[in-house]
Amino acid sequence: MRDDPRVVSLVTRASGGDQGAWHELVERYASLVYTICTRYRLSNHDIEDVGQSVWLLLVEQLGKLREPAALPGWLATTTARECLRVVTAANKAECLGTGLDDSVLFVDNAVIDEEILVAERNAALRAAFAELPPRCQQLLSMLISDPPHSYTEINAKTGIPVGSIGPQRARCLERMRRSSALAALGEGDEKIDARGGEPGA
Amino acid sequence: MHGEASQVRNGWDDERLLAALSEAMKARAAVPEWFIETGKNAFAWHNIDAELARLTYDSNEDRLPAVTRAETASIRSLTFTSEHLTLELEVTGNSLLGQVFPARAGVLEIHTRAGEISTTEVDEIGCFSVEPIPASPFRLRSSASDGTHVLTGWITI
Repeated sequence: MRDDPRVVSLVTRASGGDQGAWHELVERYASLVYTICTRYRLSNHDIEDVGQSVWLLLVEQLGKLREPAALPGWLATTTARECLRVVTAANKAECLGTGLDDSVLFVDNAVIDEEILVAERNAALRAAFAELPPRCQQLLSMLISDPPHSYTEINAKTGIPVGSIGPQRARCLERMRRSSALAALGEGDEKIDARGGEPGA
Repeated sequence: MHGEASQVRNGWDDERLLAALSEAMKARAAVPEWFIETGKNAFAWHNIDAELARLTYDSNEDRLPAVTRAETASIRSLTFTSEHLTLELEVTGNSLLGQVFPARAGVLEIHTRAGEISTTEVDEIGCFSVEPIPASPFRLRSSASDGTHVLTGWITI
């Protein structure tokens, strides 16, 4: 995961002026930045402030990141720092105190680390999904919609016979499992051999 | 957790993979569009042709404890320094007065985060004023007639 070639390539291309690569980076990691802001319980106004700071800092740092693959960690740390700046400033203004006090929300590093892992996994899953053929995307979207579509509804919308939905679902998921986007998650990990059993039905 | 992520390919059964995909899609959907747009728009600042001036002094950071602050915090002053230029700023009422050292006549651009740009003139002794002070964070870009540009970090007054 540390050397996810996709992230490295996106950073390199964005740094060279490729706006599309930048947009993809933002799409990929906006939820990480956003979720950390919500952990600090910031208002929308402050979330926008933090978001702008973080992305602008990244734009300036693009060519200087020593390890582009460590971008999620850099983003998370920078976001947490910017959130703390906003929270501390608000606290100072309200309490006329001399800085941090007990009312300032402190978000544990372990929580931030967890968010980084979740963001990596989610980004890989979305990338794998985006590589699927349209019919698989349509079918899986219907299955994960809230509430999920019934097989009868799926049949009505897509024309896939009800009896074929199960096997097609399994094939689409297997395709996702084999995607290179998900492969990046496992690479370099010593537990790669921790294979589970056969994929369930 | 790390181990779990590595098993996505091989160890997760269909139910789990589908649930994880659902979670990933929900996480993305929870992010408001304006937040994504903000991030995308930031790219406008990529490779902007200017030397970056960093904040080297802020009177707000110099604050004494609360008891005496009321007397000392009436004037906000900031200094930005780049390799070739120093920009001194002072908040006076509703305007921002500034001076560029070494003095050089030219144009000063005021960039807001929303992407709006306004300009003000810098006279021969390097003085300028910005009025009114932008409400949102802004940055200043000083352009001299010799074609050199200096850009400050973000300023919030």
